[in-house]
Amino acid sequence: MMYILEKKNIDQTLTDWSAKYKVFAPQKVENFSQFLPVEPSSELALDNPHNTRYPPKALFLPQSEALLKYNRQLNKLEELIIAPKPRIIFGIRPCDASAVSLLDTVFHTGEYDDPYWIARRDATILIGMGCKEPCQTCFCTTVGYGPFNHDGLDGLITEVDETYFIEVFTEKGKQLFLDLPVASEDQQRIVKSIQTNAEEKMQPAFDTTNLKQKLDQNFESDYWSKISESCLGCGVCTFLCPTCFCFDIVDEVQRNERVRNWDTCMFKIYSQEASGHNPRPTRVERTRQRIMHKFSYWIDQIGKIGCTGCGRCIRYCPVGLDIRAMLKTASTLESEGINAR
Amino acid sequence: MKTRPKIALFQCQWCLYSEPDQCWVDNELPPSIHLIKLPCTGRINPLYILNAIQGGADGIVISGCHPEKCHFKEGNLSALRQHDEFLNFLDYIGYERSRIRFVWLDLQDRGRIQRELADFEAEISKLGKVKNLATRIGTPVGDQYV
Amino acid sequence: MSEIKVKLKAEIQRLLNEDIMDMVIAFKKEDSPLRPQPAFFKNPDELEDLEYNSLCQNNLATYLTRYPQDTRIGIIVRGCESRSVNALIVEKQHKRENLYMIGIPCHGIIDVRKIINRTGEEISDYSEDQDEVSVLFEGQEVKFPRKEVLHDSCLRCVHPNPVNADILLDDPLPEGDPAVVRQAVESFETMDKDERYALFRHEAERCIRCYACREACPMCYCTECFVDHATPRWSESEISPAGTHAWHIIRAFHLAGRCTSCGACERACPMDIKMTYLTDKLNENMLEEYQFEAGMDDETQPPFASFNLDDKKRFVL
Repeated sequence: MMYILEKKNIDQTLTDWSAKYKVFAPQKVENFSQFLPVEPSSELALDNPHNTRYPPKALFLPQSEALLKYNRQLNKLEELIIAPKPRIIFGIRPCDASAVSLLDTVFHTGEYDDPYWIARRDATILIGMGCKEPCQTCFCTTVGYGPFNHDGLDGLITEVDETYFIEVFTEKGKQLFLDLPVASEDQQRIVKSIQTNAEEKMQPAFDTTNLKQKLDQNFESDYWSKISESCLGCGVCTFLCPTCFCFDIVDEVQRNERVRNWDTCMFKIYSQEASGHNPRPTRVERTRQRIMHKFSYWIDQIGKIGCTGCGRCIRYCPVGLDIRAMLKTASTLESEGINAR
Repeated sequence: MKTRPKIALFQCQWCLYSEPDQCWVDNELPPSIHLIKLPCTGRINPLYILNAIQGGADGIVISGCHPEKCHFKEGNLSALRQHDEFLNFLDYIGYERSRIRFVWLDLQDRGRIQRELADFEAEISKLGKVKNLATRIGTPVGDQYV
Repeated sequence: MSEIKVKLKAEIQRLLNEDIMDMVIAFKKEDSPLRPQPAFFKNPDELEDLEYNSLCQNNLATYLTRYPQDTRIGIIVRGCESRSVNALIVEKQHKRENLYMIGIPCHGIIDVRKIINRTGEEISDYSEDQDEVSVLFEGQEVKFPRKEVLHDSCLRCVHPNPVNADILLDDPLPEGDPAVVRQAVESFETMDKDERYALFRHEAERCIRCYACREACPMCYCTECFVDHATPRWSESEISPAGTHAWHIIRAFHLAGRCTSCGACERACPMDIKMTYLTDKLNENMLEEYQFEAGMDDETQPPFASFNLDDKKRFVL
């Protein structure tokens, strides 16, 4: 089913939804955009050619979240059960939405169910905005996704001139658009051709054939020290990455709270053990870990690459490292026939 | 101000030479004044001052020995420069310098700490409850981006 | 710029060929548009990728503390970077005799984000000369006068000439005017305290604690940063106002008398947070009170590393 929403009606539509849902959309912050709750005074940034800097995974896995509160006077522990209001995330890019569905395989496995993640996920409807033009740093098609990919989405918008054409995939998504006119066969054909066109514009950034085997078999190679030499070891790539999910749980004694925060394997203390030993003592091991995790270990776990090609790590790396260039070099490595793992 | 201002008192353990004064500080300090005793004012890291401010201290008093009469010889001299600069810096960001007072006590000072604290409390009451930088009080965690 | 690159290549080749240095830290060509990267040349035949222009935005001195002090390292330094290297030498983080500073008097680093704010994202094909820079946007060439797109710290630069460099690849430039720094700090100081605090909050509370500023800064080399302390816990690692305020305040304070105003911190920040207004004020105070400027030689101890009996006159007793 494809519905038609005129762009000029978008403010009204979001306001109407705000009666029953908390609506998030990309809004202008300084010189970039970020997902924030929509208010009457909001300056929407739906036309921004990029995705937001700060990833929308924060809407499901907040960067900081209090899990328990301790009341010293009453000597009681209080679990903070979350009951989020129903939400709509409007205008999320397919790379970010497919990342959310990748993270579902981490936080909602049946065997390990994170109640915080599940409560937020179940309460949310994701309406995506497809990308007609690739950015210089996008590479979603190389890693198995695409500018109009459906993973994780309840609905997907294709912008044609002054109109949004919205495909819906779930019942949850459909109920938002029931009052809207339905697209004709001709209009659907135009939309489909725009989508195919967009996909064709994207060039492969690196060769993924046998990439995992090449990385595995070159675990001890000096390729890693060459590509990691300029890495600063900050957290920009991991915090802005929509598929990174590592976290640290801390007791904030002065606040009487137990808090879960995002953590990053790029910091030295991430793998620091209480004995003083650090299995990843230098930049080389830590950068290797990041790339191996995304392009090898994720495949071991669920059979898919753990990267959706959003490009934030490339765009915001302070030293201009480009993971596409690193993997292009990796794809030229010889398979040495020695399985070092 | 309706309630008494919250004051953090960083006291060097050697500076109160008279027994009655030290007893008073140990036992009769009003509950609105929080005592933190240290071996020397040189031990005070600017982080302690910031921590007290973020916890809601309307004023801070640091009491120590005269710079050349330090029990540890040069202990408090080494910190003087840093404290001076830190207070300027806090003022620059919006926490008034007048909310922080140093009291250098001398051998012959008797009853001075009580007078200073009373005087300081009156000053702070005039300045009013602190708003700038007192951010750990009652702030919900992590709702910035959600 | 291209003549400098030629001289630079020759000099690096000489250092490596004649085994004067084990390695030279410089810049190499971009992988992603308009982002030349730090490079570590150990072999004279690796120099095909050498790059040098005003987009080279990283302070290379930050890499020095990674290597043992007996490694002989050549490094490109512009004004602020040479002072960072000197400051590191004062703090005994490397030995002067094992370093070779290739000095380049600096015309300023271009802030790519300023260009993007004027044109739009997706720019390519950068080129520059003494007065202008140009990029390609949507197929059209767009030009800007350098002054309009220089990074903010470079607009306030007082010392563009390398200090104590082993060789200079270009003629020295006139020193900058300290009044420009004074003006920037004054425009903040003259606001009332609540406005200053509001501006501080507006900037600091965007922080996502990625610590890119810390890692990009050559003077932040502590093996355990104060934010990583668990007991006692000084700065909450969570995204809360108290935690992020403490981070920005204390990091700036730990740099008092050590910061060379290079601006690498602001350039590294993914959330475009301003921080140099904090360190600029502290550096100004260091100059005024103690007549000290970081990195102007490689011997003088910074003010906080010592004390003077005259200091007590400054405090009201």
